[in-house]
Amino acid sequence: MFRRRDRVSDPVTIWFCDRAIEAVADDSVAAALLAAGIACFGRTPVSGAPRAPFCMIGNCFDCLVEIDGETNLQACLVTVRDGMRIRSHPGNGPGDDSEKGKA
Amino acid sequence: MTQDTSTDVVVVGAGPAGMTAASCLAESGVRALVLDEHTAPGGQVYRNVEKVTDKRSADLDVLGSHYRNGSKLVERLHSSGAQYWPGTSVWEISAAEEPTLAVGVVRDGRVRMIQADHIILATGAMERPTPFPGWTLPGVMTVGAAQTLLKSSGLVPDGRIAVAGSGPLLYLYVSQLIKAGKKPQVILDTRPRASLQAKLSVLTALTVDPASMFRGLGWMREVRREVRVRERVHQLRAGGVEKLSSISYESCDRQFTDEVDLLLVHDGVIPNTWLGMSAGCRHHWHAQQRCWVPDITGVGQTSRQSVSVVGDAAGIIGADASVLQGEAVAREVIACLEGKQQTAVGNTAHPWLVRQHRLLRRCLDQFYPPAQEFELPPDDETIVCRCEEVTAGEIRRVAALGCVGPNQGKAFTRCGMGPCMGRKCGVTVSRLIAEHHGLGMDEVGHYRIRPPVKPITVGQLAELEIDAHAHTA
Repeated sequence: MFRRRDRVSDPVTIWFCDRAIEAVADDSVAAALLAAGIACFGRTPVSGAPRAPFCMIGNCFDCLVEIDGETNLQACLVTVRDGMRIRSHPGNGPGDDSEKGKA
Repeated sequence: MTQDTSTDVVVVGAGPAGMTAASCLAESGVRALVLDEHTAPGGQVYRNVEKVTDKRSADLDVLGSHYRNGSKLVERLHSSGAQYWPGTSVWEISAAEEPTLAVGVVRDGRVRMIQADHIILATGAMERPTPFPGWTLPGVMTVGAAQTLLKSSGLVPDGRIAVAGSGPLLYLYVSQLIKAGKKPQVILDTRPRASLQAKLSVLTALTVDPASMFRGLGWMREVRREVRVRERVHQLRAGGVEKLSSISYESCDRQFTDEVDLLLVHDGVIPNTWLGMSAGCRHHWHAQQRCWVPDITGVGQTSRQSVSVVGDAAGIIGADASVLQGEAVAREVIACLEGKQQTAVGNTAHPWLVRQHRLLRRCLDQFYPPAQEFELPPDDETIVCRCEEVTAGEIRRVAALGCVGPNQGKAFTRCGMGPCMGRKCGVTVSRLIAEHHGLGMDEVGHYRIRPPVKPITVGQLAELEIDAHAHTA
């Protein structure tokens, strides 16, 4: 969906759902994931519909992810750190209450 | 109160208004603390300007000369002596015992309260919600979001892009993209046929501020030379299963379907009022800008004695006027702290310049009115509340059942009760209810915004040491 204009300098490695991603030290988590082609950041708790960053300035909350075990963080407001582990929120499909709240 | 910090004035936001207000305060010997949600000063308009200037000169050329101006404001902030906290979210403003305020912040995962005598909210603008069928799909994002990715990380869209809506930012961003070597497939202009008033507004604006107008007209001319523009676009829909794959729309009575990878939408900006609303400052509907704005007297004085609002957060005026207002609000606050009463007339630093900016803004508002279909989504299936997935049809249904306001609407549908707290649906839900009952927006009102306005955990709250005098919210 997005590509970098510059070559990656100052690289750090972050993990999204067990996939290693090369990011730039100053990237927000959201920018790093979008640059790596991640289309779906997580799913809604209502219907389980996929979501990805919409506003990138901290207002829409569509980029919520789990980072190093802490849930519901805004990926657009957190800067990457080497070794960071990011997971998506599974959301909740209809009749799928057993999965609710599990990362 | 070991975790507490105290200061004279807290400034929330580090855009043009916030940076200038804090610099001016600090230069006058007032202790000012700037709380910024982002990692570097600049706000959205000058986002990341220091790093881009230092390390990414190629991107500086793409972003243009106006963006470079942000460096001066950032340098002034750094040399002013104002304290700057990046990565800091404000989740509460509570009255301790006015005029002393307690500001709840979260920084590095830690929650704390800051005591201040005055708070200046310079929380800027956010993009107007643009609900249409499919706008929640991954692959649909705002033009501002894409521009933020360009400023913060040097990212440009890949693949087939469509850009929809209207407004100066849309044309600015596309002109930047062209400079970066990327052309969108198509621009879908959602403006209706230009009214006589809209045409006259261009002439007025040209006499008011020829430099800005020629700059803007230059972007439009450049963009229209390079990219196909579909006029008077209606019935925009985004399609796809797990992500966007196509868009359909009507333009000048013809139907189109395009395969695209990314759809960027924009329909102007509105003030970010959440913090002021949660602090209990009175707001009203601005009929011309079609958004909520705080009640202001003087330069930035709200209905709460110790809370000021300045810049786009007080009504959209743009970056240059926000600098002038930031300067003026700092003087007003200093006078207030010293116990002097200023008259409203003597407050504005450059009354003529500010009036000029307001006049230009009024022309832009007339030239780029919000699209009727985004303001009142005609299709009942359109999701209005992105978090709780509440549709326009559900809002209309509960309005028909007798629901007369957005807060009652929450109880019926859960609209506005998700993590964004109504930031992306507040205006739309109030508009739909007002439309149904034939009421004015001020009669219908807005969601009641309560702290915490940013997410904090129960654990973080539990670790907070509370002074009984400091917490009355």
